[in-house]
Amino acid sequence: MKPVRLAASLGAAFVLSATVSTLALAQAPVCSAPVKVLAQPRDGLTLLEDSKAEFEKLSGASFKIDYLNENDRRAKSRADASTVGNYNVYYVDEANVALFASSKWIVPLTDYYPADYDYADFDPGRQKVATYDGKVWFAPLTGGGDLMVYRKDVLEAAGIQPPKTLDELIADVPKLTNADKGMYGIALRGARGSGANVWRWMPFFKAYGGKWFDGDKPAFNSEAAVKATEAYLKLFKDSAPGTQTGSWDESTGAFLSGQVAILVESTPLSGMAVDPKTSQVVGKIGFLPPPSPLPGGGYGHGLAIAAKANADDASKKCAGLFIAWATSKENEKRRLDAHQFGELNRTSILSSKEFADIYGADLGQALAETGKVTAVNFWQDPRWPDLGDRWGIILEELIAGTRTDVKGSLNELEAYANELVKK
Amino acid sequence: MPRRSSLPVTFVVPTLVILLILSMVPTLYAIIIALQNRELSSTAYSWVWFSNFFDLFSDRRFLNAVWVSVKWEVVTVVATMVVAIGLGVLMFEVASQRLRNVYCLLFIIPVLLPRVSAAFVWKFAYHPLYGIATYPYRLLTGGLIFDPLSKPSTALFAVASVDVWQWGLFFAVIVLKLLETLPPQPIEAARLDHAKRWQIHAYVTLPMLKAPLVSLMFVKMIESLRSFDLIYVMTRGGPGVATETLDMYAFSQGFIESGKVSYASAMAVLMMIATVITFTMLWKRVQA
Repeated sequence: MKPVRLAASLGAAFVLSATVSTLALAQAPVCSAPVKVLAQPRDGLTLLEDSKAEFEKLSGASFKIDYLNENDRRAKSRADASTVGNYNVYYVDEANVALFASSKWIVPLTDYYPADYDYADFDPGRQKVATYDGKVWFAPLTGGGDLMVYRKDVLEAAGIQPPKTLDELIADVPKLTNADKGMYGIALRGARGSGANVWRWMPFFKAYGGKWFDGDKPAFNSEAAVKATEAYLKLFKDSAPGTQTGSWDESTGAFLSGQVAILVESTPLSGMAVDPKTSQVVGKIGFLPPPSPLPGGGYGHGLAIAAKANADDASKKCAGLFIAWATSKENEKRRLDAHQFGELNRTSILSSKEFADIYGADLGQALAETGKVTAVNFWQDPRWPDLGDRWGIILEELIAGTRTDVKGSLNELEAYANELVKK
Repeated sequence: MPRRSSLPVTFVVPTLVILLILSMVPTLYAIIIALQNRELSSTAYSWVWFSNFFDLFSDRRFLNAVWVSVKWEVVTVVATMVVAIGLGVLMFEVASQRLRNVYCLLFIIPVLLPRVSAAFVWKFAYHPLYGIATYPYRLLTGGLIFDPLSKPSTALFAVASVDVWQWGLFFAVIVLKLLETLPPQPIEAARLDHAKRWQIHAYVTLPMLKAPLVSLMFVKMIESLRSFDLIYVMTRGGPGVATETLDMYAFSQGFIESGKVSYASAMAVLMMIATVITFTMLWKRVQA
């Protein structure tokens, strides 16, 4: 063989092999192992499991979601992230995103979130909750503020107008309670936790003018906190049975089964309340923003990329692709088609004609109104879960009646907050 | 003189070494962590020696947890043994062999249920509005509400009843089987002396079964110390801190609330020391 032909043949072989390698790389699956997800039960995630094959085709691997209820999910994800790091994706929320981000248990999402999936399409409020220290950490699965959902028939029968102020709410709730007929004025959350009883107590605290910290100095031990706690405890006397040690499930469950006249809860309740599959009070309810000056509790839950289990860039890309796919427009459209109101987060879906056709104008109006009073009520700091959970225990004791001294309880919390700040 | 074989040593030593490693490594690690100030959210730590232990004695929740743990231990162990002996004797006295077999099968089912499943089943059974366990109260009082898991005075007993439901019934089967293995002569002799049924059991059968019954009691005492799953699912230590046992509080401090793993380890070490001392003393007293 002549040297020129040999060189040409070798060159051609090199180009061919390079092209094949590039093609092979381009088609190489993004994921090499199933994505392990730790989450709390959500209808949207259950629906997502029906499309496993689609993700497998897209990424080359499947996924597995382990579900734990909210408090357990928080405890387990914290333990897992700080120790063994078994999960590739964590379900995080507004209460612990600061802790997870500052502890480097999760990585900034947008570095691994494919641009095609359009992160900017998420509701701006939820994007804000997902942002800490100038970086985006999770893609929303749910979020929003609070709405007052009330039983039109029960209020009408009692001759009571839907309360527009907090004072009216406090005055009306006892009048609406008729325990003999299984009707209770309100349902609150009694179970301990920064995302449980403290979450429902915080709008009262803010309504009376309370604030958590003034710089590094605790400022919550105030008249506002005492008034808020006393109002919360007073309302609890008319709260449905089971809520004294219950949280979201118990209070919404009591309302949806027709035992509660007024409920101020997170916005997903409204979607559940108009769905005959989950509600026994369809057609009997009205929606309004929370009675003034109660602010709505702004919140957001979503999926974040774990740092420990995704040691290399390839694993992070795989987790990022899973999150992008799970929260994509296509999957959100499936949730809308399945009437999963609480699982909708994209503006393109929330403003769509299909959304208005399914949920009607009233709910859309109430959601728009409540958006104006939605606020972040908790202390946006990595130490928040610690402080919030401590107050949750004390508040549960006050609700259970094993403690009666509100001011003394706040003094104890202040002493604990001072210790936290010193660290 | 027979030659000493090294075979027993060959078989026993590796097993003992593995057991020693499995038990001692976590224990030593827990002790070391208890002397530091580690937290989940930070990799930085320093040695604080006995500071965590001193802090525990001024922590009202820890002192409450000690008291709740003592109450839990006494209530569950005593109730389990009473139910086990009562039902075991009752089956021995009144049930035919065929019926005994049916009862044994039924009584073993609760303990076969995973604790978490049992806890969920009973949590729903105690629901004030829909629960089957609270239904008789609603029926008798014309619809009044009874919420045992929400009341500090009843919550511990409500959770303890689930523990007794699982273990008391299982132990009743063991007691019955123990009674069936006793030689019939002493019982016959007592009957000939016109002893009443309760006298036969109080003065003949149960004293004959003292050793296995004491062993059963010790098993239950150890099992009751591991009540975490039941309490966690049913009350999470609430209402307030009414059912917060030491293991529940240690887990709260370590993984739910503040991530203070060193503080939680200090509690675990204290629990271990207290358990070893108490059980050794009780064992010696029983042996004496």
